[in-house]
Amino acid sequence: MNLEELEKQVTLMEDIQEIENLQRIYAYYFDLQRWQDIVDLFSDHAESVEIVDHGVFKGKEGVKKMYWDWIGQGGKSFREPWIQFVILQIGGVIDVSPDGKTASGRWQTWLCEAKPFGAYPRQEWLHGYYENKYVKENGKWLFSKLHWNNTFCSPFEDGWIKTPLMGLMNFHPTIKPDAPPTAFHPYPSGYHLPYHYKHPITEK
Amino acid sequence: MVTLEELQARITRLDDIKQIEKLQRIYGYYLDYSEYQKVVDLFSENVESVEIADYGVYKGKKGVKRFYLELLGGKPPRVGELSIGMIMQGVVDVDPNGKTAKGRWYCMMIEAKPTLSLHEGELRQLWGNGVYENEYVKENGKWLFKKVFFFLNFRTPYEDGWLKVPVVGQNGPSAEVPPDAPPTFYHPYPAGVHLQPHYKHPITGK
Repeated sequence: MNLEELEKQVTLMEDIQEIENLQRIYAYYFDLQRWQDIVDLFSDHAESVEIVDHGVFKGKEGVKKMYWDWIGQGGKSFREPWIQFVILQIGGVIDVSPDGKTASGRWQTWLCEAKPFGAYPRQEWLHGYYENKYVKENGKWLFSKLHWNNTFCSPFEDGWIKTPLMGLMNFHPTIKPDAPPTAFHPYPSGYHLPYHYKHPITEK
Repeated sequence: MVTLEELQARITRLDDIKQIEKLQRIYGYYLDYSEYQKVVDLFSENVESVEIADYGVYKGKKGVKRFYLELLGGKPPRVGELSIGMIMQGVVDVDPNGKTAKGRWYCMMIEAKPTLSLHEGELRQLWGNGVYENEYVKENGKWLFKKVFFFLNFRTPYEDGWLKVPVVGQNGPSAEVPPDAPPTFYHPYPAGVHLQPHYKHPITGK
């Protein structure tokens, strides 16, 4: 093995580490409700963001609409101290493309939230899977696509079997997605979010 | 000055750890979706055994197939059955020969399952927790499972919690697909018996 090949291997490992950090940092910003900082984790050429049943928001403009305008209420939201988004990022499977410029990652999340839902404050457990895409620009990894698919969103008092879904979040009076949700099928539908990767041994 | 060969050996070791972490996580995702053939294909042909909670020990590749395909995959999953395993916090050690490795992991489980201690028709929502101590082997440049061992700590109805009901129901040993040997280390909460790690203390070496 020559120096060039070694460097390639080291770069690949650094890439995976940086993508894992990016994904985790995203979740900490979400937890901290730093919506502009989340928008800045996306490439200017971002493909789309899709969260639960909100629908598909395309391009960097769409990313801003999703996080800043909708979730962050355009920066106008007063952060009530009791509101909580704890989003655990678990089980990253990262695959960097052979050219080292793009990557895909699957993760799962376990969330422990407290937020206003409809008429009153709720505490809830959530679970879901991500299938995300990343792009390296000027030596830094950014999100090019984020898709979070929700398995359940259940009140703490009930659990997933009694109340798989607290309610829909797919309406905003002024903000509209570019396309409807592509894969919103919560428990107990039995829906499987496809993997970006092939089986590591059989390669099927 | 370090030689190219030495550097390469160090990088290979780091890469091995990454590959094993990936294998373990992919295993978890396949299990979530009851894709048992894909799970079986992650095991070496020379696998030692698989042992999960109180199911008992299933030996060799034949045992692995019997356990996953016949026992777990024997019945089509029911509507509403849920089996999410969140595999976290890996400590992976590659042996000096670079051909075998060991890993310890936590698993938190979110489930909806019928339990044998109840009438068959009812699904219950469960929290589960346990620890994996697994072994891996590198064959033709790819890491595979050589041994899977899962220690169940608790598996409790959502409504009760681990203090009130540490383990609900019983899994094994199965009469239809019997194990090759009884469970070797089944001591759920609150037995106070802990699964010791494969590794020595990183500082004292004890």
